[in-house]
Amino acid sequence: MQPATTINQVVDHLFRHESGKMIAVLSRLLGLQNIEVAQDIVQDTLLQAMSAWSYKTIPDNPSAWLYRVAKNKAIDFLRREKRFRQISPQYSSLLDSEYTLSSTVHNLFLENEIQDSQLRMMFACCHPAIAEESQVALTLKTLCGLSTGEIAKAFLTTEDTIAKRIYRAKEKIRTEKIELDVPQHNELSARTDAVLKSLYLLFSEGYNSSHPDQLIREDLCEEAMRLCLLVTQHSLTAFPRSKALLALMCFQSSRLNARLDDKNNIILLKYQDRRKWSRSLISKGFELMEESAEPFEVSTYHFEAAIASLHASAISFEQTDWKSIYHLYDMLYQLQPNPIVAMNKAIASAYAISKQNALNELQQIKGLEQHHLYYASIGELYFEMENTGEAKKFFQKALEFTSSVPMQQLLQSKINNC
Amino acid sequence: MFIFEGTQPGNLSPEHMQEHMGKWMAWIDKLRKADQYVAGEPLLPGGKLVSGANGKSVTDGPYTEGKEVVGGFFIINAKDIDEAVALSKGFPDFEHGGKVQVRQVMKVEMPQPVA
Repeated sequence: MQPATTINQVVDHLFRHESGKMIAVLSRLLGLQNIEVAQDIVQDTLLQAMSAWSYKTIPDNPSAWLYRVAKNKAIDFLRREKRFRQISPQYSSLLDSEYTLSSTVHNLFLENEIQDSQLRMMFACCHPAIAEESQVALTLKTLCGLSTGEIAKAFLTTEDTIAKRIYRAKEKIRTEKIELDVPQHNELSARTDAVLKSLYLLFSEGYNSSHPDQLIREDLCEEAMRLCLLVTQHSLTAFPRSKALLALMCFQSSRLNARLDDKNNIILLKYQDRRKWSRSLISKGFELMEESAEPFEVSTYHFEAAIASLHASAISFEQTDWKSIYHLYDMLYQLQPNPIVAMNKAIASAYAISKQNALNELQQIKGLEQHHLYYASIGELYFEMENTGEAKKFFQKALEFTSSVPMQQLLQSKINNC
Repeated sequence: MFIFEGTQPGNLSPEHMQEHMGKWMAWIDKLRKADQYVAGEPLLPGGKLVSGANGKSVTDGPYTEGKEVVGGFFIINAKDIDEAVALSKGFPDFEHGGKVQVRQVMKVEMPQPVA
């Protein structure tokens, strides 16, 4: 008998990595309208695994064990229900006959079909009828095996809020009769963009250093990368921009282990031990970036990947190619003129051009009037330029726009320094 | 922990990898020649680039500058690291997780401009 913690860890790991796959496959088999039945079958399967493995050893191939149990449960359900035509239009004829029932279920659990089902599920979760915030929540719930509580934690919001988002998404699946289809050729490109966008936001959430829990951040980044890898590997969705997005994720995640010290404090880029950056991820990033160059297309992900590659390949903070970074931000801004890009561009200009230039650029930005970081950045530049009067003014302004107590304290101490 | 962690890094150091990016260099060249690339609407990811009701989720991204260079702009110059660490410990203000990240406060000098 194995210690309970080991079993829980294994099941936990399997839950993350296999439940999403099984839910996708079962939803394809039973029809997406029956996604809750699929989720129940997966839940039952995992519970069965936990009780079976707690007094025996864990099987050599636990995934195969899970698939077998899930398959049997699905077949039982289909035999019991006998209403294939309603639930699964695509497979009804095959499921109707006892002769083909098992083999049809079996075939859907083959590796390439599992991947295909996951991709279809991604398209369904990122259906344009579903609101963007719900898309990400639904993706995490169905494809990444995260519980509602875990998703809530990841987004620093309440379980109730996430439950509502998922409920609304499922309502849309019902009312819009969304199925696990691969989009038609004429809409494939735009639908893939929606998937990429959702994965980008998912990764972004994980990369965001403001989250208090390191493990959640890494999980989100990892899930985003796993799904993005799937997108880049499928012939239908392997667009150059899909590869550019994955390249971006590789470069940025290469630093995850170097961004925190042993007390979980954030280490800013300048002070990170660059030897701790993952060489294999950086190398993979360059490989993907090279692949993203052909056939020729231009996306925001191309520019973002290129910027990230310059950080990843810099020997030191000071020797970073800030001029190229600034230039790339300039082009990114033309493609995507939003204030957040403008702010990052301005910050880069402090190193590429001058602090005065950065200050000028920051002051021209419209749309960040509610953003404490915006005012703090301006204040910091003034402070560095030894204009403490102005610095104080902007730190005070920043103070108005943050409700976080530690940040208020820190801003207050900066004001006292002026 | 990551999916690519097991893959072998290339022979080249990251600093030298860029020099072996022939297709990428060609991409840059094409970009320079294509003045109108901005108008290539089908190429815009998502097609929803303007911030609005969904402003936060639309505009936020994993940008290095904001998150890792300036990420601590107002944290950076705080006088006393220990004090900040202690402060953070004292404020379980993250509404739901019940955990608090202790965020390092560091002194960063702005380097001399490159240009």
